[in-house]
Amino acid sequence: MSRSSNCEGVSRRDCLRLGLSTLIGGGLIDALRLRGQAEALMPTSSRPTSCILVWMDGGPTHYETFDPKPEAPAEIRGEYDPIATAIPGVHFSRHMTELAKIADRLAIVRSIQHNQGNHGAGNHYMMTGAPTRIPVGCGAFVSFHPSLGSVTAYERGPTGGLPPYFSIPRMSRSGGPNFLGAKYAPFEVPDDPNRDSFRVRDVSPPRELDLGRFDHRRDLRAQLDRLERIDHDAAGDPVRSLDEYYEQGYTLMASKDAQRAFDIHSEPDSIRDLYGRTSFGQRCLLARRLVEAGVPFITLYEGGWDHHVEIFNALDKKLPPFDRALAALILDLEQRGLLDSTLVVALGEFGRTPKINNRGGRDHWSNAMSVMFAGCRTPGGQVVGATDPRGYAANERILSPENFASTVYLKLGIDPDKIYYTPQGRPAHLVSDPTPIAELMG
Amino acid sequence: MRRSLLSVLALAMVGASAPPEVAGSAASDLSIVPDEIHLTGSSARQQLVVTGNADGRTVDLSALVSFRSENPSVVSVDEHGVARPEGDGNTVIVAVLDGEEARASVTVTGMSIARPVTFERDVMPLLTRLGCNSGPCHGKQRGQNGFQLSLLGFDPTFDHNALTKEARGRRVFPAAPEQSLTLLKATASLPHGGGKRIEPDSEEYRILRDWIASGMPRDPEGSPTVVGLDIWPPERSLAAGDQQRAIVTARYSDGSTADVTHLAAFQSNESAVVAVDDSGLIRAGDRPGEAAISARFEGHFATCSVTIPLEGEVPASLYDDLPRSNVIDGLVWAKLRKLGLTPSPETDDSTFLRRAYLDAIGRLPSLEETRAFLDDPSPEKRASLVDRLLERPEYADYWATKWMDLLRPNPYRVGIKAVWNLDAWIRRAFRENMPYDEFVRTIVTAQGSTFSEGPSTIFRDRREPEELTTMVSQLFLGIRLECAKCHHHPFEVWGQDDFYGFAAYFAEVGRKGTGLSPPISGGEEVIFASGKGAVSHPLTGERMEPAPLFGEAPDPDDDPRRALASWMTDPDNPYFARVIANRVWADLMGVGLVMPVDDLRATNPPTNPELLDALADEFVQSGFDLKHLIRTIMTSRVYALDSLPNDRNVADVRNYARHYRKRLPAEVLIDAICDVTGIPEEYDAAAPGTRATQIWTHRVPSTFLDTFGRPDANQDPPCERTPDTSVTQVLHLMNAPSLHAKITHEDGLAARLAASDRPPSAIVEELYLLLYCRRPTEEERSVALAVFDEPGVDRRRACEDLLWALLNSAEFLFID
Repeated sequence: MSRSSNCEGVSRRDCLRLGLSTLIGGGLIDALRLRGQAEALMPTSSRPTSCILVWMDGGPTHYETFDPKPEAPAEIRGEYDPIATAIPGVHFSRHMTELAKIADRLAIVRSIQHNQGNHGAGNHYMMTGAPTRIPVGCGAFVSFHPSLGSVTAYERGPTGGLPPYFSIPRMSRSGGPNFLGAKYAPFEVPDDPNRDSFRVRDVSPPRELDLGRFDHRRDLRAQLDRLERIDHDAAGDPVRSLDEYYEQGYTLMASKDAQRAFDIHSEPDSIRDLYGRTSFGQRCLLARRLVEAGVPFITLYEGGWDHHVEIFNALDKKLPPFDRALAALILDLEQRGLLDSTLVVALGEFGRTPKINNRGGRDHWSNAMSVMFAGCRTPGGQVVGATDPRGYAANERILSPENFASTVYLKLGIDPDKIYYTPQGRPAHLVSDPTPIAELMG
Repeated sequence: MRRSLLSVLALAMVGASAPPEVAGSAASDLSIVPDEIHLTGSSARQQLVVTGNADGRTVDLSALVSFRSENPSVVSVDEHGVARPEGDGNTVIVAVLDGEEARASVTVTGMSIARPVTFERDVMPLLTRLGCNSGPCHGKQRGQNGFQLSLLGFDPTFDHNALTKEARGRRVFPAAPEQSLTLLKATASLPHGGGKRIEPDSEEYRILRDWIASGMPRDPEGSPTVVGLDIWPPERSLAAGDQQRAIVTARYSDGSTADVTHLAAFQSNESAVVAVDDSGLIRAGDRPGEAAISARFEGHFATCSVTIPLEGEVPASLYDDLPRSNVIDGLVWAKLRKLGLTPSPETDDSTFLRRAYLDAIGRLPSLEETRAFLDDPSPEKRASLVDRLLERPEYADYWATKWMDLLRPNPYRVGIKAVWNLDAWIRRAFRENMPYDEFVRTIVTAQGSTFSEGPSTIFRDRREPEELTTMVSQLFLGIRLECAKCHHHPFEVWGQDDFYGFAAYFAEVGRKGTGLSPPISGGEEVIFASGKGAVSHPLTGERMEPAPLFGEAPDPDDDPRRALASWMTDPDNPYFARVIANRVWADLMGVGLVMPVDDLRATNPPTNPELLDALADEFVQSGFDLKHLIRTIMTSRVYALDSLPNDRNVADVRNYARHYRKRLPAEVLIDAICDVTGIPEEYDAAAPGTRATQIWTHRVPSTFLDTFGRPDANQDPPCERTPDTSVTQVLHLMNAPSLHAKITHEDGLAARLAASDRPPSAIVEELYLLLYCRRPTEEERSVALAVFDEPGVDRRRACEDLLWALLNSAEFLFID
């Protein structure tokens, strides 16, 4: 039990569970009742669902990805021509060739908008489904609400010794657990899986140690770790939770499934090539391996989308390998029968300005953004909503970050209308508007 | 609903949980509360409670007695002990149990004057009590299904409109009140997301119906308002399973009082220990402890403190004979005596040494320091150790780091130089042991360039009066005003007037120079008193004058912040010294007298109010000397108790009957690993040899520090670091290549010991002294020595494996 106990002998986590529901009448009743409603929307497949969230940090342009505007004036439509996709009448931008071919598996939402035009706030809104409580600036790393991944970790727990939430290579600005506590922070994999020397950090003994020596150390530790534990639960001895984590750690290290998932080097070259031999490509592949091993939430953090200058030069290099890796991920999941239980989403904090600026770039623009969905029984081959002919703003089927977050939660079997209580007893709606994007719910 | 609940509880009392002495004739001294009742007007009422003595303590017998009115045409009384007026006159209510009687005199007046049911006085409390305007229901930001009330009823006009005018008036239907949507929904006659909240035959229903029928009147102008709330009993000691009914009385501005038990909302701050139900029935849990039961009505609070002593007798001499090193000990022993807890014994020298070093200066003692202390026969050695530690340079870095968590902004937002300056200023303040009042005054009134005056950086980071208000009030007063910015906190007295009056002190802060330009933001700004600027109330638009939260503040001069700082740091301000005393106490003792440490309010009382008062007094008397405060705590006997429980304190986690373990904080742990292995860590943007407690910003990359929960510089303040452990942490400790490199380093401890000519037993002893500050037991020695004898294991490998095993043990990772 954790030392951060704040009900006598009841850990912070237990408090969250109990919901401190005596504070405000009806909270628990509401939560129970609404769970009944939410269950009707939740997936019924036997395999637990997973989510791979591709975070395009900086705010990807909607024009040059999923929402080209060929009819707009040159200073808006930019340098790229649209290309046809597998959905008749729907076009993507020039470099999205591989995703265009499999557009029948994709649902593109073109009409999510919000009002947070800087990175800190936009990231928070899309990563948590809640706007920031106070205005925050561009450089801000803020956390007022738990992220999609941390909530999933909290709700779903670890499987087979594997942490339930990975963020690869690192956590995004608001990707943390906030009031849920450190236990639900993402497990980061900072090293580059495209390198021959790649290993997932800390999940196996240092290379120089053979396994026999590790086992020897482990035995030695068991004999020498003699600080007396306080067995009585009410004492809340934090050392006992340390013991629990060492057991979990040993389980993870000994789990063949987990270690196999981490061993990207065992993947056939043909598959590794399919994703492209890039850091992002191999991270997509690692995500697929983690999904196979049962991890419910993986964020793939891909920086470099903040194209204030020379956007076309930058995207000429950035988009083709990105497009290829993402398409390979979706196809690979499909071929392995995992796509029905795996949601793949790709998004950033907002879209980008219609007019190319005088430095050849586009700036932040939260009036319109495109979000890609695939898998987890999302009906493919559709575009939801639309922006105006010049791409200034969503003008059809206008949707919010709350709708986005609710969709992801429901696909993961989590009721977005839940109420959490912070350790101080403040009620916090998981998502204030629990309405999912109906077209995606299948 | 209340009826069914009560009868169940009454049955429970008669049954298993009621001691026979209570139900039987041994109960004596029957008394009734209140014993004098004045009921004015037909809507008045009075809850009665009957108590008696059993087993030497006061017990609530209300559920067992029978009530009777001697003149039912003057007053009626129901089986729950609720008296209601029937006609003007005087009479007596009698409670009878086993032939014994208790009598309350009753006067009823004003029955001929009908008081109308009005919105503020009658309906709003109901909406709050029934949870209608709570955060999860219609009080949430967008309301629920189109019906929105102000959160916890902070805006009566808004709520009156929402009920009477919105939804095309369907919510109320004066012509046929029963058909009002409000009543149909609340009784679940129509589908209601919140389910059935009231019964059609309930008093709540009657009030709402009568109010609608009479045309939804608001309170007339100048109506009496609530000025205070009292709860009876104010304190009570219960046995496990006991029940006690509370009576809540409101005091009005016209001097009248009224029983509002049925309208108050109740809350326990420790519901696992003592629970309270909607009707105010307090129920002790099945294990010893204590709790504060708060009643809330119309933004006012009253608190009843309940204790459940541990069963069994402890001889008074045990407490009398306990040692008292200073003011702390007597107050802790008094509290333990009240709860029937006994303290653990004093801990041994090794544990004390390690605890004192880590708590006072955030580092482990060296081998020589440990040996010297353990071998020192002086009876005064603990106190003189504390004195020595407080003079060490590491003291400043370690305690400054705690304030960095709370004060130091993100350099990517406000610029490297500005943050560096602030960091340097805080460290200097701790090196010089700047009096704490001066420290806070300097921060709150900071002026000058962010390139030369460190504290002004705080005003570069927090640019709006509102942001400064939440930060300053929470950090330095332990008052959480953030909720009050938008609504009355459910268990807090502060409202928007308080918030914006406080914010007005910051309205005139001026800034010249280059503003924020993240992510570099390298410009210089000068903070000054501009003489212009205003803060206005969000509801009324009224320009707010600076006003302290309570008491009197000096008149603002050309920099209103000076008046604020002077009011805040006044020795008579009850919050200022208490919140810092509580913070320091929590840092050293593992848990605050108030938790969370910066949340001081009537509804969250300290576990030992006398102790917090004494610490605060001592601190003020010393001239706000932090070292004196730390020394006082660390030289108390309470600080020196062992962490292992006895059978009379095992469940204690708030009263300091034993010492509470805590994990080494991130910086202290990595510094300890570096010190022990002899291999330092290297940090970006820091000189070689920099220790983790000396890093100038939490943004300096470190996987280790992130993993072990250092704060994120830009979270909503104040940023508490996480003391939790996690699986990521233990995987890192076991397997991280960087830690492996320290263990196996050519210049490291293991290599050095292996290369020495010392025998294995000396090596083992050195490892134990370094990591645990003690010598190994015989058994440990033999386990460790066996490693050297294993086939194929050389000395180097034996040393490394032992070092790894000890680094990964609880005794190293925790302050015991």
